[in-house]
Amino acid sequence: MSNQRKNLVEIWEDHVHIKDLIVAVLLCAVPALGGYMLAPSEPPMPLAIGLVSAFVGFIIACIVIKPKRHLEEIDEE
Amino acid sequence: MDPIIIMQMIVAGLFGAVLYTIIGVAPGTDETAVLAPVTLALILAGASPYAILAFFISAITAKKLTDSIPVAVAGIPGGVMAAPMVEPAMVLKQHGLSNLSIKKMASGSVIGTAVSIPVSVGLAMFIMPFADTIVSYEGVIFFSGAVFLALLTKNKLLSLVVIVPFALLIQGLRELYWATGIVAQDTTVFISFFLGITIGPIIFSIFELLNQEKRKSMPRYGFKEITFKKVVTTEKFPNPLKILTRKESISASFGSILGSLTFFLSPVGMTVFYGELLSRRIKDPVKRASRAISTMDSLTSATYMSGILIPLIAIGLPLSPVAIGPGNALFNAPPVFDTDNNIHHQLTMSEIVIATCIGAAIAMLFTYYIAMKFANQICSFVFKLVPHEALIGLFMGLVFMLAFMDAGWVNLFGVLLIGLVAGLLHRNGVNYGVMFMILYSAPWIMGVFGS
Repeated sequence: MSNQRKNLVEIWEDHVHIKDLIVAVLLCAVPALGGYMLAPSEPPMPLAIGLVSAFVGFIIACIVIKPKRHLEEIDEE
Repeated sequence: MDPIIIMQMIVAGLFGAVLYTIIGVAPGTDETAVLAPVTLALILAGASPYAILAFFISAITAKKLTDSIPVAVAGIPGGVMAAPMVEPAMVLKQHGLSNLSIKKMASGSVIGTAVSIPVSVGLAMFIMPFADTIVSYEGVIFFSGAVFLALLTKNKLLSLVVIVPFALLIQGLRELYWATGIVAQDTTVFISFFLGITIGPIIFSIFELLNQEKRKSMPRYGFKEITFKKVVTTEKFPNPLKILTRKESISASFGSILGSLTFFLSPVGMTVFYGELLSRRIKDPVKRASRAISTMDSLTSATYMSGILIPLIAIGLPLSPVAIGPGNALFNAPPVFDTDNNIHHQLTMSEIVIATCIGAAIAMLFTYYIAMKFANQICSFVFKLVPHEALIGLFMGLVFMLAFMDAGWVNLFGVLLIGLVAGLLHRNGVNYGVMFMILYSAPWIMGVFGS
């Protein structure tokens, strides 16, 4: 789309917006580390809670951040 | 075998198949970066070794099946391994045959997986008598592996030169952690260094963004344009042997055997080499492309399966690019697994084969069916709803957490340092395989200098 402002950079073979990337990293890293540290300290708990929190952060990131891809769908015969 | 264990394997297999059917479609997801952290986390969280193996096999089979879907639909590789298939898939797409392309690739993948399991078990039994000798030369073998892989990379000289400096960095950090009492003398920091190397290229790119001049001069893009062809999907459960022609089935099976025999080599290189070799003489571009993609997909799936099964059954050390990359955690995940006590030691050969068959069967039934029926929906779901930022964020989050777990706050910076160096090297043509081999042989390399 030519009318879009070109403000994305390429990381890991896809286009990302720098501010959104920072938001996404924070949304995943803070719960992961926080969950790990705040969980009760018997062995599997910190890791399990850290993982689940990171995944919740990932879901939130999927909701608040829009993918930077433009799909053009063509019907195939 | 206990029915509870079998249930665990089925549940783990389903979890792996569902998760990696989705992740497999996401563009640019490297196998090591997406498989290693999750497998590791499951192991450390205390899942049973049976469930872990079934999960891993199912995950890898599902990922191999789906990473070719975006290639066929949009010409974007769903993973590093799918990259060689873009060219023949584009030929089919131009002829309006994306539909056929997906079917051929997925069927090739199924054949590759099915053929490689018995071949790998046979090869493993052949290697097994030499296993003790192989294990006693562990350090030398990993060092030779680093040299060997270095000679196969794009930048041979740099790859060779960095072996000692990179080993110094790894072993230096470990010694420092011991000296300052950050970790106990009997603990070797491994996981977080491994992940640091894995996400090195991403860390390096993010740090480049901090440099204002660099940031301003970076190429800027608009939205990623993806032309997406809606393909007609089948209603009935498709039979891979009917989708492929006789010749295609034969060359796919042959590719699978060859892929299993060369389990210790880089899969991407072999895929390009063999795909070209077999299809070069066919004149008709559509037939040639169709033969190439079914064979290539079969070969990559087989290399993956044998690369993990042979070292797991016969040796117990990660001596193949697949085992040392995505499957690394099955061999080394302290404190649960280490190179003297991992899935190889805890499970018998028949148990490994059963877990593998359960995992592979679940992924083949579930993912193959889904891939055939819902290729359009999966692609548009992932492309429209999963932002790339969130994927990067998730993996960064996991790495930070595991870094903290290994050696506290300071290790976040340690992993950052390793990631930066690994990212810089990766950018300049030193591949993951070389760096992982160095990670394994670092204590041995430093020992040589010490004595």
